[in-house]
Amino acid sequence: MTNLQLLALLPFMVLATAAVVVILLIAFKQSHTVIQVTGFFMMCAVVLAMWFVRDTLPREVPPLLVVDGLAALFTGLIIFSVLVVGLLSYIYFEEREENPKEYYILLFLATLGAAVLTISRHFISFFIGLELLSVSLYALIAYLRNRNNAIEAGVKYLMLAALTSAFLLFGMALIYMETGSMEFTAIGNAITKSGTSVLFLMGIGLIVVAIGFKLALVPFHLWAADVYQGAPAPVTAFIATVSKIGVFAVFVRFAQAIHLHENALAVTVLTVIAIACMIAGNVLALMQQNIKRLLAYSSIAHFGYLLVAFLSGDAGVGAGVFYLLAYSITLLSAFGIITLLSTRRKDADELSGYRGLFWRNPLMAAIFTVALLSLAGIPLTAGFPAKFFILTVGVQQHMWLLAVVLVLTSVIGLYYYLRIISTLFASPPLSPAKEKSLHPLFYAATYTSLVVLMFLLAWLGIFPGFIIDNVQEFLVIR
Amino acid sequence: MILVLMIGILLVGGLTCWLVAQRYPLMGRLIALIAVIIAFLLPVGWYAQYASELTVTGNNWLIDYQVNWIPAFGISFHLAMDGLSFIMILLTFLLGMLSVLCSWNEVREKTGFYFFNLLWTLAGIAGVFVAMDLFLFYFFWEVMLVPMYFLIAIWGDFNRRYAAYKFFIFTQTGGLLMLLAILALYFIHAQQNGGQFTFDYFALLNTTFDNNVTARWIMLGFLIAFVIKLPMVPLHNWLPDAHSEAPTAGSLILAGLLLKTGAYGIIRFVLTLFPEASASIAWWAMLLGVVGIVYGALLAFAQTDLKRLIAYTSVSHMGFVLLGVFAFREIALQGVVMQLLTHGVSTGALFVLAGMLKERLHTRDINQMGGLWTAMPHMGALAMVFVMASLGLPFLGNFIAEFLILMGAFEVSPVLTIIASAGLVLSALYSLRIMQKVFQGQLQTVSEPPKDLSAREWIIMASLTATIIFLGLYPQPVLDTVQGFVAQLARSNL
Amino acid sequence: MDISQVLFYALSAMALGSAIMVVISRNPVHSVLWLIITFFAISGHYILMNAQFLGIVNLIVYAGAIMVLFLFVIMLMNLNAETEPQKNKWLKLAGVVAGGCLLLVLVAALKQAEVKGKVAMLETGDIGLIRNLGKALFTDFVVPFEISSILFLSAMVGAVVIGKK
Repeated sequence: MTNLQLLALLPFMVLATAAVVVILLIAFKQSHTVIQVTGFFMMCAVVLAMWFVRDTLPREVPPLLVVDGLAALFTGLIIFSVLVVGLLSYIYFEEREENPKEYYILLFLATLGAAVLTISRHFISFFIGLELLSVSLYALIAYLRNRNNAIEAGVKYLMLAALTSAFLLFGMALIYMETGSMEFTAIGNAITKSGTSVLFLMGIGLIVVAIGFKLALVPFHLWAADVYQGAPAPVTAFIATVSKIGVFAVFVRFAQAIHLHENALAVTVLTVIAIACMIAGNVLALMQQNIKRLLAYSSIAHFGYLLVAFLSGDAGVGAGVFYLLAYSITLLSAFGIITLLSTRRKDADELSGYRGLFWRNPLMAAIFTVALLSLAGIPLTAGFPAKFFILTVGVQQHMWLLAVVLVLTSVIGLYYYLRIISTLFASPPLSPAKEKSLHPLFYAATYTSLVVLMFLLAWLGIFPGFIIDNVQEFLVIR
Repeated sequence: MILVLMIGILLVGGLTCWLVAQRYPLMGRLIALIAVIIAFLLPVGWYAQYASELTVTGNNWLIDYQVNWIPAFGISFHLAMDGLSFIMILLTFLLGMLSVLCSWNEVREKTGFYFFNLLWTLAGIAGVFVAMDLFLFYFFWEVMLVPMYFLIAIWGDFNRRYAAYKFFIFTQTGGLLMLLAILALYFIHAQQNGGQFTFDYFALLNTTFDNNVTARWIMLGFLIAFVIKLPMVPLHNWLPDAHSEAPTAGSLILAGLLLKTGAYGIIRFVLTLFPEASASIAWWAMLLGVVGIVYGALLAFAQTDLKRLIAYTSVSHMGFVLLGVFAFREIALQGVVMQLLTHGVSTGALFVLAGMLKERLHTRDINQMGGLWTAMPHMGALAMVFVMASLGLPFLGNFIAEFLILMGAFEVSPVLTIIASAGLVLSALYSLRIMQKVFQGQLQTVSEPPKDLSAREWIIMASLTATIIFLGLYPQPVLDTVQGFVAQLARSNL
Repeated sequence: MDISQVLFYALSAMALGSAIMVVISRNPVHSVLWLIITFFAISGHYILMNAQFLGIVNLIVYAGAIMVLFLFVIMLMNLNAETEPQKNKWLKLAGVVAGGCLLLVLVAALKQAEVKGKVAMLETGDIGLIRNLGKALFTDFVVPFEISSILFLSAMVGAVVIGKK
């Protein structure tokens, strides 16, 4: 391994160091605040490291890793999301009795797992990254052990994740047996030379099952609502953004390498999955009274939309990245509000708790409204150009069925987002104000970051051109 | 630039309103009023300067402002104004000023946010009338939707949440179908022109279609969005709820302006982009228009809720618009433009009157009204004027409009025109019923007789009355202004 | 049929049979014992493939250490057959149908496939030897090796977090 290759991996090493630093801080009995601030700066250091190495890209680190534009984009997205999740975590965990410190170790390790996924181009790194992500998530989901839901959610995730790991390994084994390689490009070459066989397709199918589980695509989505509900709010935000971004990144790279879009059967299967996601996600969300469950179903639908971009092949990658960016910012601000409203005993996930929020706390309600409008894809928010770009690539590839389903299910989606919004603006019940006794600095920081997120949503909604151009620029680095 | 300024003032004015009104509610209202007045004066002042050019050169684009917005997708920020747009803009800001005035005292809580929504709705509507890039058009189309949703959902009547939902979901469904159609058009155009991706209206005008089926589907995508807004009969379901539950200013804007965006969309986009496809469905559209005229009038007659009644008269009047547009005759199209103006003014006025009645009597049920003429002679007289306008009395604007439409449509389909004329008789029935139930007959037991119009209300009603009478006596300036566009449209569609 | 083939089939039968017993035996202690036998059979497969090191490690770590821990935990928790929760009959049926379908598809696919006999990495046949394994791990695969050590860190932290108090 040369120096340049090592340099390209610098951001990932900094990320791993962050976890170790937190361990050391705990060993030296530092307070939650110190750990939080250090973690924040470590994440900033990761961003700096990425900035530092940007000129050396793309760089291959054979045989397992490649750091290119795509990886940089997705890693950037992941680090951005973790920065916000970390900020949200402080307020959430500080007021709970459990010791919150180990949380940050697990958070950073899970992030590292997702980041490894973005740079992997080999089954081994794919598997290790995925395991790193899920093993950390088991503990994160069940972090608040005293709640019944938490343990249930954690065990559910553990069982299903273990099962899908088995599927993934079996799929990888079948493909290895067919092509004699575990490297994405070599598999692609072998397949173009000899054509696909039944065994190979079987392997692809099993891998799609595993990926579908992680992304909560429709036949494999059964865990989503329970886990979203049971996990602590910041962890839910993490699952919804970081973990899915990482898995999506590796899926994109894998599909590009093996030319998945030229395989009619795979395309058909994924099309069916996408349609099922859009319909089931939106329909199941209709009747939910629990916001976290509702967001779980809505995220299923959103990944259905994202699959439309995915199915468009190379043209869709830019649109997909933009969509993920808009989606992460939106979800992070929504979960930020949920976190801020959560109390010591339970998360603020009942819809009734949001009644009249606008009259009690206009700023929070405004942020939440913007986030929901963005999820619904209304102009002036980031969700609109995101959905628009996906529709554009979909129509460009003549995927009319998907485009029409996307449009119609968006209308269904509108209904439940509007339901939350109208709850926010309904006349308020008489409820005592919640008492918080944390240092105002952290509220200021959280509020500031949420307001920044809101403005980002508006900015992306009105001037998406800048980001789109940059994304395209990054995508050619390969 | 003037157009950007006009929309910008509304957007910025809305934001300042929101911020200022937290402390000084009166200040917020003043800012809202001033912002709309400035936005009104900008195009008017500009028109006074360049009016001569317009009449000399016929149909020309008076202002054309274009900057790149998202060049990667060929999206530009393209605003332009011709005679038609100018007329619609004028109507927008006239009713805009009145809507600010008529919610002066009605809205008591969260005035800042209220005026913010009001101004942003107006900005969206103004944007729709001048956007010449289809992406931008869709953008404004949605921008006027969201604040309107809030206006209904927060400050509406008892059943407001249901009404707001229904309004939003109906319109959004249409909007998304239109988006799909816009995208399809975008790609077909790019294929024909060697990968030149653009959403620009003028570029897309040159698109030709290989087969009629594609053209018809894309056209239907546009048309459905517009006829939902218009509304055409099977898709009118949202309208009575939204109109009757909205606050007075909301009803005024809905009836006076939002419905007009649908008609404007048909004239500006459907007819010009898809001449053949729209000709092929013309007869059906006219039929549905006539059905709307008769059906709306019949339902209006059956209502007891005053605002609902007026809402159904809108359905009826908009049937004339559909009839006139798809006749493809110059004279009918001019009638349509007149109808848009006069219906905006007269129905707007009726909604304002209904709002005033509700403020005084706290009911919308016409069975609980009656004999109000003695208590409020001024209001009664004004109501008389607008009821007469609504039934199409000569000397008032609506007569001109409906007459021109019927004249143009008669050439195309005498049968439909005759049925439509029967609709006029029905309109007399429901209009007179309003007068009779509300202002005549036995005075209902009210604890104290309601007060007649205040000075502020006088200003509102006087300006509307003056407008409707002026349009009835001397419609020529309007006809001249849109002459160029309409003549060209009729030529290309025949 | 030479000796290695005989051994292969015998070990496979043993692995499959004991794996099935893990699932169907009612007593959890028996399940664990069957699982140990499964691991032994798989270790035998490793050795057949000339990967002695992996075989031994598999025995020591899985069959030796982990399974003994499992056994202790289960014995300490004193799980009885009666406490096993009854599952919905329909759920069971659905599970059987779904699993059966998957099996059917897999068998059909495997039957269709002609194994092209590309034993790419195993050509030399001594990758499983400890020297080669170590070389691979500390040169080419050093990054994933490090990452997997981080993976254990995360598992450890997670276990401590969940288990303490």
